[in-house]
Amino acid sequence: MNILTSIAEVSWFILLVAAGVAVLIGYLYSHFKFYARSWFFPAVLAVFPALALAASGALLGGYTFKLWLSFLAAEAAIAVFFRYAVKGRHTVPYLLLAPAFVGLALLLVYPFVFEVYLSFHDLKLTTIMMWKNTGTLPFVGIDQYIKVFTTSPLSETTFWQLLLRTLVWTFSNVFFHVLGGFILALMLNNSIRFKGFYRTLLVIPWAMPQVVAVLAMRGEFHATNGFVNIVITKLLNIFPFLAHLGVAPVQWLTDYPLLTCTLINIWLGIPFMMVVILGGLQSISSSYYDAADIDGASYFQKLRFITLPLVRPVMMPAVTLGTVWTFNNINVIYLVTGQAGGTEQADILVSALYKAAFTYNRYSYSAAFAIVVFAMLFFFSVFYLKSFDAAKDER
Amino acid sequence: MATVQFKKIVKRFGDNLVLNGVDVDIKDHEFVVIVGPSGCGKTTLLRMLAGLEEISDGEIFIDGLLVNELHPSKREIAMVFQDYALYPHMTVEENMNFALRLRKMDKAEISSRVTDAANILQLNKFLQRMPKQLSGGQRQRVAIGRAIVRKPKVFLFDEPLSNLDAKLREEMRVEIAKLYQRLNATILYVTHDQVEAMTLAGRIVIMNHGIVQQVGSPIEVYRKPCNLFVAGFIGSPTMNFLSGKLSVADGVAVFSNESITMPIPAFVLPQKEAVAGREVVLGIRPDDVLVERPGGEKCSCKIDGVLEVCELLGHRENLYLKVGAQRLLATVEAFFNRSPGSAVSLCFNYQNMHVFDKATEQRISE
Amino acid sequence: MRDNMKKELSAAAKRKRLNHLLIHAGIILFAAACVYPLLRIFSVSLRPGDKLVSMDLSIIPAGATFISYTKLLGDTMFLRWLWNSLLITLATSFIGVSLASTAAYAFSRFRFPGKKAGMILLLSSQMIPAGMLILPLFLMIMKLKLMNTYLGMIIAYSVSSLPFSIWILKGYYDTIPRSLEEAALVDGTSQVGAFWRIILPLSTPALSIAFLFNFTTAWNEYLVARVVLFSSKQYTWTLGLFELQGQYITQWGMFAAGSMLVTVPVLCVFLYSSKWLISGLTLGSVKG
Repeated sequence: MNILTSIAEVSWFILLVAAGVAVLIGYLYSHFKFYARSWFFPAVLAVFPALALAASGALLGGYTFKLWLSFLAAEAAIAVFFRYAVKGRHTVPYLLLAPAFVGLALLLVYPFVFEVYLSFHDLKLTTIMMWKNTGTLPFVGIDQYIKVFTTSPLSETTFWQLLLRTLVWTFSNVFFHVLGGFILALMLNNSIRFKGFYRTLLVIPWAMPQVVAVLAMRGEFHATNGFVNIVITKLLNIFPFLAHLGVAPVQWLTDYPLLTCTLINIWLGIPFMMVVILGGLQSISSSYYDAADIDGASYFQKLRFITLPLVRPVMMPAVTLGTVWTFNNINVIYLVTGQAGGTEQADILVSALYKAAFTYNRYSYSAAFAIVVFAMLFFFSVFYLKSFDAAKDER
Repeated sequence: MATVQFKKIVKRFGDNLVLNGVDVDIKDHEFVVIVGPSGCGKTTLLRMLAGLEEISDGEIFIDGLLVNELHPSKREIAMVFQDYALYPHMTVEENMNFALRLRKMDKAEISSRVTDAANILQLNKFLQRMPKQLSGGQRQRVAIGRAIVRKPKVFLFDEPLSNLDAKLREEMRVEIAKLYQRLNATILYVTHDQVEAMTLAGRIVIMNHGIVQQVGSPIEVYRKPCNLFVAGFIGSPTMNFLSGKLSVADGVAVFSNESITMPIPAFVLPQKEAVAGREVVLGIRPDDVLVERPGGEKCSCKIDGVLEVCELLGHRENLYLKVGAQRLLATVEAFFNRSPGSAVSLCFNYQNMHVFDKATEQRISE
Repeated sequence: MRDNMKKELSAAAKRKRLNHLLIHAGIILFAAACVYPLLRIFSVSLRPGDKLVSMDLSIIPAGATFISYTKLLGDTMFLRWLWNSLLITLATSFIGVSLASTAAYAFSRFRFPGKKAGMILLLSSQMIPAGMLILPLFLMIMKLKLMNTYLGMIIAYSVSSLPFSIWILKGYYDTIPRSLEEAALVDGTSQVGAFWRIILPLSTPALSIAFLFNFTTAWNEYLVARVVLFSSKQYTWTLGLFELQGQYITQWGMFAAGSMLVTVPVLCVFLYSSKWLISGLTLGSVKG
């Protein structure tokens, strides 16, 4: 019986979405099609607010005069816009775009704006009930932003330590991703047997659900039962002299959490780079290599002068994307260190802000923190794109 | 079947003026070919008739009806696209009856039209196949079949043979000619290949840079090109052009450039006084350059030249000659049997000589 | 001269064989490193009840049993969690692909004011840190009283893969020649009719890729689910699996069994469609 109710619930939601899309399309279509008629303005000023009012009354319950006035004002503005600015052109593309972009506006743009709003107010555990009931919050100006830079999000580490750690994390990960992916792609690009089989195996870390993969790898770094320490112990048994060199089972998760996370993330991220680079390698026509062979180039010369330049246009988007994803990677850090009993030592910027919000309930603080991180990323990418474009133009 | 009129058609793509005041009149049951080099605007003109491009200025009439604002499907036209545009996920039969199904025609009527078209184009065996199982020529025929079943007022062909190899192109040209004879339809055909234009057209419209250069039957356009462009575009191999100056001496017009000097008889250039002293371009087709043959009274006197290269084409031979600094191409009977570098004598056939004013590029000979 | 060449050739052949051996060895090493953790999970899932925590490294442990599986399926709500995940993911994917298919068509075939801005918006939304929007979404869902419901989850998930799906679909639509739609226009459809009857049926490969991408993203998601769902009955499998790894007691056996049960189908689907997925990725990157 549970199954049926859950199906019903979900189907009802899909129908609701479909109905909402249909209403949206109908609304926009009527504006596009009838903007030129003489009865356009009277109709929209009378009909639409009334309909909107009825619908919202049914959904949210009750209405106020203020709400009705705001609907009227909005509708008047939209009608004027359609009549004088849009003039019914480009009907079809706008109608096609509307559902997706309204969805994005509601679930991407509005949350973003809301986050900015939050960052200027004070929402935390003590004020959240007040907000739920009245919808208002105390206004604190840039207080939260100041707190971001001066106080610690969790208990110990400061913003600057987190920033440094994040940069180290990002660069070391991306470096090994690209290096490992490149080496594997080079190896796979030859005409060897079982290539498909190998590729299937090598892609497994990427194909596995991240939750399973990370938790499994975390298990391998366990101090006593994990694969890594067991192997180290066995090695020490076979080669006792290694103990003198300082090789010993390591308390990975407690002593070196960031290193552990890095190793795990490298294992996770190499397949993606490998696949992309392999695709790029395979698109290089073999006639280039043939010509180089005739000219007498060695393997590394061919690599440096043919492979690398020709693979770069395929690699650049992947590396850029990979860098951004690594910078923003909450999953690995949180799954490895974020549970109760975990440590803060490995936190990067984004995982700290998630924990600040949901473990410590410092919502506004977390919002301000997030805006700061986003601003950093935004300016960096604008700068990066501008210099990339400039470099392209120079060439 | 219907008539088509283009009146003062202008088309702009942003700042780019593609068509600049085009007027074309197509009569009922006529096969008109619009021909010109890439970018001359011919495909744009066709697409405006189909309703696939907006008209910047001007009017288009089908059967006297102004169709500027009419949706493509309501203009009663059918179009054969350059890449055939067969719907890959439908069988041949479904491709052909798609438009009829959209108009909710009677099923019996639909199947009879499809069968008729399939018979004409020999597609009966392929009706249940998918487009990707067909060869290029077969796909072309399906595209034509799709147009036939519509029984439109005008057929539009957009460079239909461009994607076929040379041999197939010849075969399909004949098929299209036979189709026209059978259907007696109004056809507007766009191509950049002047051979197709010459062989298929009842009338040719030659365009360049968005302007109509000349309209006429194939023979008119071949025999009396009205300007340099048409002269150089129509006819294969291309016409020889000699730049020089006209002067009048002893009542006879004389053409001279650094390599050749020869008189021009009165029947070629009647108003010799009016054109004295002008810079002109003489046009003579390779067929009309006679090499090592007695001239006759309608030919010029002998001119000495050197043979540079000969190309044997089977039944004819191309001779690349040089007279002083002037290069000429002559086409003669095969097996000319002279080695490159040997001296030859040639003369020009005055009857088919053309004189163009160099500045205006217009024809000034009769 | 000829002897020299023969010697060169056989030496080259030997070198080639040695190279290939080295390559095989290297790849096998990496491949083993990739597969081994998965095999370990498999072996843990087969361990008998008393030996769950041990230092045994063998793949098939001594006394292998399926007891973890039976306990998982019988004593926990694992099946319920799978069902929750399935519903949410299917609904999300369906909505996401529908919205993306029409939007991508608009971007592919039309010119309109705001097109460039729209594309930039889509691209830059990829750069928003994932954690950034979880908070406002959480608060919105809380205010709408949709916490701990299917609807709340679907709302949260439905547009997360939208930009990427639009990108992929637009890239695919760009490869379909416009003359097909023009032929349909001349035949008598409207522009939207041409989209519905001609373009959409031809786009099934790209639509499948987009659907698959939406599906895997939502299926494997953890962070948003952890914030929105709080009762055991409503958990998705990611949350459920976590519950098995409690603070003091970790049910290793059942955890491993659950991991296997989820991973194997996902792997199969992924590997089956891997050629498509990869070509879909390169489609976007080559065109963009």
